[in-house]
Parts: sequence; structure tokens; C-alpha cells
Amino acid sequence: MVDFNVVLAGLTDAFQLTNLLFVLAGVVLGQFVGAVPGIGPVMAMAIAIPFTFVLDPLPAIGFLVGVNKGGLVGGAVPAVLINTPGTPDAAATALDGHPLAKQGKPVKATKMALYASVTGDTFSDLVLVTVSAPLAIVALKMGPVEVFALMIFAFSIIAGLVGNSLSKGIIAAALGLLCATVGLDPEHSTPRLYFGWFELYDGLPLASVAIGMLAISEILRRLASTNGGMKSAIEIPVAQNPEDMRVRWVEYWSCRYTMLRGAVIGTILGALPGIGSTAAAFMSYASAKQTSDDPQSFGKGNLHGIAAAESANSAVVGANLIPLLTLGIPGSVGAALIISAFMIHGIQPGPLLFEQQGRLVYGLFGAMIMANFINLFVGQVGLRFWILVVRAPESVIFSSALLLCIVGVSMATGGLFGVSVMLIFAGVGYLMTAFGYSVVIFIIAFFLGPRFEISLSQTLVLLDGDVAALVNYPIAIVLLLLAIVATWWLGFRAAARQANKQPA
Amino acid sequence: MKIGKLMTSLIAAAVILTFGAANAADWKPSGPVNLQIGFGAGGETDTLGRVIASVMKEQTGWDVIAENKPGGGGVAMFSGISKAPADGLVIGLGVNMPIMINLVLRGDKLPFDLDSFDYLATVARAQLAIIAKKDAPFDDIKGLVAHSKANGGTAVAFDAKPQELILRAIDKQESAGLKLVSTKSSAEMLQFVLGGQVMASFSAGTHIPYVEKGDLKVLASANDGRHNYAPDTLSLKEQGYNLFVDPYFYFAGPAGLPDDAKAALVAALDSAIASEKVKTVVANALATEVDNLGSDGTKKMLVDGIGGVKVLFGK
Repeated sequence: MVDFNVVLAGLTDAFQLTNLLFVLAGVVLGQFVGAVPGIGPVMAMAIAIPFTFVLDPLPAIGFLVGVNKGGLVGGAVPAVLINTPGTPDAAATALDGHPLAKQGKPVKATKMALYASVTGDTFSDLVLVTVSAPLAIVALKMGPVEVFALMIFAFSIIAGLVGNSLSKGIIAAALGLLCATVGLDPEHSTPRLYFGWFELYDGLPLASVAIGMLAISEILRRLASTNGGMKSAIEIPVAQNPEDMRVRWVEYWSCRYTMLRGAVIGTILGALPGIGSTAAAFMSYASAKQTSDDPQSFGKGNLHGIAAAESANSAVVGANLIPLLTLGIPGSVGAALIISAFMIHGIQPGPLLFEQQGRLVYGLFGAMIMANFINLFVGQVGLRFWILVVRAPESVIFSSALLLCIVGVSMATGGLFGVSVMLIFAGVGYLMTAFGYSVVIFIIAFFLGPRFEISLSQTLVLLDGDVAALVNYPIAIVLLLLAIVATWWLGFRAAARQANKQPA
Repeated sequence: MKIGKLMTSLIAAAVILTFGAANAADWKPSGPVNLQIGFGAGGETDTLGRVIASVMKEQTGWDVIAENKPGGGGVAMFSGISKAPADGLVIGLGVNMPIMINLVLRGDKLPFDLDSFDYLATVARAQLAIIAKKDAPFDDIKGLVAHSKANGGTAVAFDAKPQELILRAIDKQESAGLKLVSTKSSAEMLQFVLGGQVMASFSAGTHIPYVEKGDLKVLASANDGRHNYAPDTLSLKEQGYNLFVDPYFYFAGPAGLPDDAKAALVAALDSAIASEKVKTVVANALATEVDNLGSDGTKKMLVDGIGGVKVLFGK
């Protein structure tokens, strides 16, 4: 156990002015790059890492964590305001955030996103600070078989988002899985569907597909519907009702269970490497919708929808550090970047970290908590700025967003190849939306596809292809049963609701 | 007086520019040097590339810009390099194994071969180990094989093609019945070993603190030689399996670089790799030492390595 003196010394370090300033700088940068479509916090962290070499470890890592946390808050801004999520995990936020913004309440929508994000993040940070070591040991017990079962469970929950047409939902999911199989197969490294393009060996670039389908296709749709007149990207009533400019405490408090559930989902998925914040956001959103008394109001600007998505995707970030700090295992690309920052400072995350670098670790914890508060304050100022920005004429906003997406993706994927892929998927996304196929289902299937496939292959090897061998994996059995229950329950409830509606 | 001085220095500068151009030591890039990294942001190669770029910039004053070109373990990046003009303004940092494997397996489909490049330097050789939990009932590969035979198959994790081939070769040689679990990263393998989902796995450095703490042990070095942190652990070769992989991080540019440009790049990379900063990063990120084989040594490493890979694939 770490000595209490060390804990105090670490927390004191976090409050040193230089360290606080670096965290502040990180959060500001993170919120900015998160809000600008196409760049994102991961890219910013990758560029910043070599520069942190000259810093001490705590300001360096505090800065990077600030970028990561700020990015998640910033990512919700374009999703809510112009329906173009800069990062795929913000796509869930757009589902209810944008409709609310369109009703003339952009300030309220972005504020709710900010509060939910900070709430979820703080929750997972507290879990990290208090019980990371035992939690990491539990997470270790979640092997490939359990992760496979967990993914089936996640799919069964997210299926609640399919919408009106089951067959269209299945087609969208199948297309997403098909696109996820491009590249080397995870078992024997045989290239699949690459048509001689070596750029596709590692699969379709995630950033290209996500930004193409989510952001560019929306921009295309908006550009197609313009009629030459000058109007703002979002209409904000001049004399706005002050009630619509803020989130009242009652409204925030009414979302407490939604946010708590989102934070728990985010923390669990974050502690398990490799599943990610996009799945967490959608799982939380889907379960909020399913358990709501009024599921019809989701997708039309329900505050609970925003709260569910943002609390979950932000909770993933803190929880990602649980396997990272205790075991040296990164749970996401962002966490992998933080590991490389640790390593260039000569610090090896893993079992010895708390003993050898206790002061640094608690300094980092202090910095993370401070980053959440800073996020809150910077966010309050920042969202006013962004709302001013989107008051500019639509033609200006969307053409600059298009430019930024192209620049961002070409940076993230290393050239114009990624941009071409992005534009192709923008077309695919546009057509899918036009014909009523869910782009969101496609993206989830595409994101979870590779992990799903490799978990399946690992499971088959470990079970020797024998389903009966599952008896040795009780957690997996429970999860699979839950998946069946969820499917039945969701199906049953949906059917019951339909029946209720008919007489009315 | 002042004008006279200015004239003198201008003339001196002109003389240096005209005559110096032929001299390797005075070669200057005509624009920014693009240092391409064959992997995405956030891995070991990315860290190495970015730090070397910044040290080169410091030491030479050239404008060195690091850029990620991920795809196919460096194949996409080197495809681009092989087509780039040989003016010394584009160099690439990659890892030898994926390049050699693709040359062996589908060389006819690649837009390049070994002669498409001028080789400049290696940075380091990664140390690949086969590891197990400290309390595992075996201490070497023979013991692992015996355990697998006695228990109807033991799960072992790998995260790259050559590792899979090594395991298959051992499995075939011993009829051990190993269960080969494919994973996506060193971190995932370590997670499975610690969580008890597999009994053994490969690892390229993340295991070292666990070995120090006493949670893990090293069964074998998978390199051609032993590891610096575990000098008593035998290599696979020493344990009776004629198998090894030596993953090197190396630099190359397009073939046909002018002699002075090539010499200047080799010298610049050499002094950057020898710097304290790069040494520290290699020690921290790869848990090994810098190891620059030089221009000819790098080429020899690849030519010899292709032979080794052919043996692994049974070609």
C-alpha cells in the first residue's frame, strides 16, 4: 500500500502552478481540437508527445490527459450544433443533442452535454483513484470468452436502436461487419478484400469511415438542401427564453440515474481493454431509451439522451487508465499514447508503478480531478464561443467544416488515400440515410467488428470448438443469458407498447 | 568598410556553396526532409521516429518533418518511398519483419524489392521473449511442450505472423498439441498470461517489470541470441529449435540517392541515433540498446533476414 505521505505529496504536486497551467493548456487544446471536425484529441496527443520530452513527467502526462479529457467535451460541440460528430463516440450525443439545438436551445443542449460529460468523467476518476487495483484484477479475469459474451450482450442492447425496420437494421449491421473484415484477417494474417491496395492491409482507416459517414455525409445533405439564401447553420431565436439558455438543477438532477448508469457502463467498458467509448455511449443511450417511460421522445431532443451518451463516453477515459496504470495494458489508442509518454520518460506502467512512482501516480490523479473542473469552466466559456461561430452563414460553416475534415483525415491517415476513403464513405452514408438505413448501426458494427471477430477466434481456440466447454466460464454464461433476456425483454416491451398504442 | 566585410563574407559563402556541394559533409537538403513512419501514431516506431526527427533537426539544422504513413506494417509507406525522387528529401522508418514476410509471400505483387532502396541505418533490435507466469509448472520450451502433452493442449498467445510460425514449427517438431491464440498486441498477450487465459505468450518488452517483480518468467529468447536483462535464459536455438526472429527498426530512402546526400543522411542518422536522447527513448520504450548497423550492415541484415524468413515459411 502506498504511504499516505506519498499520496499527499502527489496531490500537492498536482496543485503546483506549472502543473495546473499545463493541465489547463491541455484542456483548452483538447476542447478546441475536439470541437473542430476531423482532428480530434488522439491526433493532437500524438503530435504533442515528442514535445513533452523536455517537460517533467507530471506536467507532461497531465497535459496529455488534459487534451484527452478536453477532447471528449469538445467532440460533443459540433455533434450537437451542426450534427457532424468530430469523433464517433459523439455520434450518440448528436441523436438527441442536435434535435434540441434545432428547437432553438443550442446552449441548453451543449451545457447538458458538458455537465453529463464532467459527471461521468469524475465518477470514473473516483473509481480509478479508489478501487483501481482490485478492479484491474477482476478485469484480468475477463478473458476472450467473457469478452465475446459481453459483446453479444452489448449487441443485444444496442439492437434497441434499430428503429422501425428490423430488416434495414440488419442490413446496415451486416454492411458494417463486412467493411470491418477488410485487411489482414486477425487469425492468420491473410489479406482480405484489399484489391491490391496495401494501404488497406490494416483495414479501412477508422477516422476516414467515421468522419466520412457521420460528418461529411451530413454536410453533403445540408449543402444539398440549401437554396442559395443566406442563413445561419443553426437558428437561434434572438430573444431567447432564459429558461432555454441553461440547464436547471431539477433537470440535471432528474437525469441522475441516467448519468449514473452511463458512468457505470463507461467505467466497466473502459476497464476492459479494446471495446471503447463508442460502444459505451451507444449502450448507455440504448438502455436509457429502453428503460424510459417515454421512449418515443428519444431522438427528438430528450435531455436524458444527451446525458446518457456523454456520461458514458467520458467515463471510459478515466477507466481506461485502470488497466493502464495497474497492469501496463492500454485500453484505447488514447491510452496507448499516454503509455508511450510514460515510457519516453523512463516510467514503465505496470505492477511496480504504484510502488516506484507513487507520488507521480497520485499527482496524476490530482491532475485528472483538476482537469475535470477546468473542463467545466473552459467548457462554459468555450461553448459560447462555438455558438457564436455557428451563427455564421451555413455556406461558410459547412465549407470550412469540409476543409477541416479533409485536412484532419489526411493528417490522421497519412495522406490522400484516407481522404478518398472518407469521400467514398460520405457517399455511402448519404445514400444510406436517404434510403432509411441507419448509419449509426453501421458504424457500431464497423467499430466492434474486428474485436468481435478476434474474440470469436480466440474463444473457439480456447474452447477447442466445443460449446459444452463453456461451463468453465460462468461469467460468460451469465452474460449470454443476459443477452437472451435483453433481446426477449426489449422485443416483448416493444411489442407490448405497440399493442398499447393501437387502441389509443 | 562594412560593405567590404559584407562582400568578403558573401564571396566566402558563394565559394562554400559552389565547391562545398560536391563534399558529402556539406550536403544540405534543398527543402524540408520528410521522415515517414510506417506505422500509426502512438506505437514504438512512432515514438522513435518523432524523437529521431527532432534530434536530427537540432543537430543538423535541417527542417525534418515526421509523418505517419500507416498500412500493412510499413508496406504502404515503403511503396511510396520506392517511387519517390531520390533527392534525399524523403526517408522512411520501418520494421524489417513485415517487409521481409511480404517480400517472401507476395513479392510479385509488391511495387518494390530489396534493391528499390538505399539503406541508411538501423535504430535497434527488439528483444522478443516467450514468457509464462512465475508459478507455471515449467521453465523452458521443453517443459511447456511436456505440459501441453500431459494436459491435452496448452494455450499460447502470439501477435504476429512470425511468432505464429515459430509456434507451429515447435508444435510440429514435438507434436505438442499447442493451442495457438491470436491476439492484437503485446499488451493483450500480457493480459491473457496474467489473467490465466493462456499459459505462455510472446512479449517484446512489456514483461520486463513483471520479471523484475517476480510475477513472470522468461522461457526463451526468440532472438538469435540471449537478452540483456535475462542473460541466463537460453534462446530457442540453444534449446534445440532452429528458429528465431530479429525484428530491427531501420531507415531507408529511395534507391539511387546521390553519394553526397546518402553520406550526409547516413552521418546525420548515425549521430542522432548515438545521441543521449535517442538512447534513453530506446532504453525506455523498447527495453533494449541502440544498435546501428550502418548503411551496408542494414542491407546485409535484410538480405540475410529474407533467407531466415524463407526457412520459417518453408519456402
